[in-house]
Amino acid sequence: MTATLERPAPPTPAEQPRRRRRLPGPFDSVTLVIAAVLIGIVVLPLGRVLVRMFWVDGALTIDPIRRTLELPGLGGMLRDTLILVVASSVLAFVIGTTLAWLNERTNARMGLLTDALPLLPFLLPPVAGAVGWTMLLSPRAGLANSWLRDLLGLVGIDLREGPFDINSWYGLILVMAFYAVPFVFMNASAGLRNLDPALEEASRLAGASTWRTLRKVTLPATAPSLGAGFLLAIWFGIGMFSIPAIIGGPAGIDVVAVRIVELLTFTFPPQTDVAIGLSGFVVVFVGLAYWLQMRILRRGRYATLGGKGARARTLDLGRAKWPARVLVLGYVFVSTVLPVVALVLVSLNGFWTPDIRWDNLSFTAVTTAVFDDRTTLTALGNSLGLGLVGGLIGILGAAMISLYVARRRTALARGIDIAVKMPAAVSNMVIAVGILLLLAGAPLYLSGSLLILLIGYLALYLPQASIAADAAVSGVGKELPEASAVSGARPARTFGRVYLPLMVPGLVAGWALLFIRIVGDLTASAILAGTANPVVGFRILEVFTSGSFALLASLSTVLVVITATVLVVVLAYTRRMSKLGVSASVGGVK
Amino acid sequence: MQPDAASAPSTPVVEVNNLLKRFRREDGALVHAIDDVTLTVDPGDFVVLLGPSGCGKTTLLRAIAGLETPDSGQVRISGRTVYSSAERVELPPERRDISMIFQSYALWPHMTAFKNVAYPLQSRRGRKLGKDEIARRVRQALELVGVGELERQYPGQMSGGQQQRIALARALVNNDDLVLFDEPLSNVDAKVREQLRFELVSMQRELGFSALFVTHDQVEAMELAHRIAVLDRGRVVQFGTPQEIYRRPATRYVATFIGAMNEAPGRVVAVDGSGHDGTVTVETEHGRVTGRTHGARHAVGDRVAALWRPEHGALHRSEPTAPNRWPGAVKAGLFVGSHTEYVVTLAGGDVRLWSPRPDLVAVDASAWVSVDVDDVLVLPEDQSSEQPQDAPAGELATAS
Ligand SMILES: Nc1ncnc2c1ncn2[C@@H]1O[C@H](COP(=O)(O)OP(=O)(O)O)[C@@H](O)[C@H]1O
Ligand SMILES: [Mg+2]
Repeated sequence: MTATLERPAPPTPAEQPRRRRRLPGPFDSVTLVIAAVLIGIVVLPLGRVLVRMFWVDGALTIDPIRRTLELPGLGGMLRDTLILVVASSVLAFVIGTTLAWLNERTNARMGLLTDALPLLPFLLPPVAGAVGWTMLLSPRAGLANSWLRDLLGLVGIDLREGPFDINSWYGLILVMAFYAVPFVFMNASAGLRNLDPALEEASRLAGASTWRTLRKVTLPATAPSLGAGFLLAIWFGIGMFSIPAIIGGPAGIDVVAVRIVELLTFTFPPQTDVAIGLSGFVVVFVGLAYWLQMRILRRGRYATLGGKGARARTLDLGRAKWPARVLVLGYVFVSTVLPVVALVLVSLNGFWTPDIRWDNLSFTAVTTAVFDDRTTLTALGNSLGLGLVGGLIGILGAAMISLYVARRRTALARGIDIAVKMPAAVSNMVIAVGILLLLAGAPLYLSGSLLILLIGYLALYLPQASIAADAAVSGVGKELPEASAVSGARPARTFGRVYLPLMVPGLVAGWALLFIRIVGDLTASAILAGTANPVVGFRILEVFTSGSFALLASLSTVLVVITATVLVVVLAYTRRMSKLGVSASVGGVK
Repeated sequence: MQPDAASAPSTPVVEVNNLLKRFRREDGALVHAIDDVTLTVDPGDFVVLLGPSGCGKTTLLRAIAGLETPDSGQVRISGRTVYSSAERVELPPERRDISMIFQSYALWPHMTAFKNVAYPLQSRRGRKLGKDEIARRVRQALELVGVGELERQYPGQMSGGQQQRIALARALVNNDDLVLFDEPLSNVDAKVREQLRFELVSMQRELGFSALFVTHDQVEAMELAHRIAVLDRGRVVQFGTPQEIYRRPATRYVATFIGAMNEAPGRVVAVDGSGHDGTVTVETEHGRVTGRTHGARHAVGDRVAALWRPEHGALHRSEPTAPNRWPGAVKAGLFVGSHTEYVVTLAGGDVRLWSPRPDLVAVDASAWVSVDVDDVLVLPEDQSSEQPQDAPAGELATAS
């Protein structure tokens, strides 16, 4: 230690102290403009829907509401919607919390396998799942039904159709539940992970059994997370269009979301009034669910984060360990793998029949259906382009907003944060309807254009972009940028050298999620796309209404392959980055 | 950093005047994180901010660095005003020309040790260093802290102690006049901590930077500091050399926070003389205790406390002749190696004394305790401990 360090050259002229920083710098100004635009494309359409409900052709009226109330079968439709949403959410809640508990608190956990696999339906386009399940459990031609009939035949039970029928209440509820489980699983897992293990240990030491501890300590203490998961499942259910359209339609189960699309897209002339009236029901229902949850949660005080990330001691299930594992993996197999296998089989087989010609599988059918068909090819190109661009715009905009919110703890920043995440609480359907009202006709005439689709996708998936960006920003922490500033770096340099490199994995992951959502979207696509500018979601609906199931399977398979490819590449990339201590996840999957 | 800094060595490196910073907690209560602090650090000084967790040490350090905006007051660094509420001046951290070591080290995980250390050299405005020059200085800094071989490693591949050294190299590489430390040694294990402490002291003496070092560990403070500022709920309650702080704590809070202390509250019954040699006698529950006033003014009837350290007490089998002596019974004798700690029950409760002799008096035997008049401090009852922590809500006019 004999070395000494040199003095830095003294800064040239004596500096004039600067005025206090109050005005936003150029970086912040740009952010505020972006925030205003992104919030605008959500709030304005919503406002438009609400106004349109009471204000038609320059006069105050209750005509839309009256005509909605006169809709034949309105009561039955509302009842069906309610039953479907509540039943599937409850089922998803039971499955999701059980999986989360097994994974977080018992030795049934199998690392990444059980951490990530239950989340997969979150990333697969629901429309692909709905088609896959139809291929599996259609009463006559369903593959699984045929396999089951063969099995039953061995024990002397001969059936001509069944034993299951996907186009039924239980089929619809089951598939909806599968797709809602990730919301519950994600929140319940986080809640269990953040719960101070000492709370549970204290209960055990006080003499309570495992079961009693679970009931009296674990569940009540994680109630906010569980409640949030349940609420998300409800919201997901109300806004969900593709599954009830494909599975519930043939069963005669009438759901509000499907009816809104029908009134706007498949009715001529479009019955906008009634669609808007129905949107009002959706808004009320969503608000009611939110209000109920707040009431329930406000009653108690809840423990959260304990000490330093202490992982709770896992419960040894003993002989029940392997059955529990089989249960978890079986669930993943049934909910996720089976429908995808059915899709792939039918598309490789060329047409939909229970008798798969195993030695004759080929890509010919997929090629003719998808790549030789001009419309489908255009739709595919449009969707990929929109996913790429929309994902990029969405995640970068959200990242700038997240950075702003994290650095400024002002009321304005908090307000922006809430506004950006708000669409999650409103049904996708309603926002899409609002955008249609606002932009399709005069003065912009964007109807059926790619631009209106881009705007629709951005508005719909803004909350997911924002949540992903938040994760990326919070992963950087507070001290790393501060250390940069103290080292003498200006804000722009701190952004380029510290924030950006550390956020890139998180942003790439967020982009992937948006891309997957946009390419697999059916809601905005059904309402906003037109035959001139088709997208995959729109094409799927067209094919579905024309009844070509092999084509439907091929399209869905392509969708699944695109999703899986993006997912695998991005996950491989983020895992490599995590070795440098920078972590990221795509919708919770690490 | 003023051009004339060298010709005027007396310009303090840091001057903090009447600094105030309040936080509003989630429950709405106001916390005075920095409560009217005034403090100077001279060139070459090693100043330690000492206080229990939550007393505002980190907030004060961050306010000096520009990472936290105070409510009011003034901060000058090397004669340059970097914050002043009256002049409406606030320089951002990157223009304050200081270095800081964070409690978590804050090494950038995506940069190698070399790049981490090179960063401050590349970032300062108004200066462009050549590649070779930067490489030379980075290596020099890495050698200085003894981790020359780590330059290609990423922080994730290093031990805590090594990360600590890289953080130190990054803070020293610009050779700023002032380096701020926020409990940098609290995350490494005891052995490494001692070693780093030792190296830090010799580096500071050698390189001549001024250090402002935050810790809650009084032993660490004693070892490192030229001067210690003891903080209590956002206020500097005493600012002096380690010896002064230990020998003449200004308040009961300081006395009991630094090292072990026997305390006996009571009332003044006699004051004899004034100035340094004056004595004051206190009626306590143990009996009468006489100590030095050290210039403090006491009046008969004042509520005070008499305090003395365990190492100054003496234990006797029979009655000694010293003026401060009290009979009692030995409750316990705890052998801790270098000495034995005796707990003796007197009329007013238990006191502790340390003696090098482990077998002086048997447990439960009666004994006498004495302490020299010079070793007894008489301090007024602490005011600070009775002060309300939270101001009325209406007062927060300037906070954002
Ligand atoms: N950002 C903040 N918001 C609210 N209160 C804070 C914040 N930062 C610090 N405080 C409060 O200010 C006080 C001093 O904190 P700090 O400076 O971190 O203490 P120390 O470093 O001495 O442990 C504490 O009571 C703390 O709770
Ligand atoms: Mg601190």
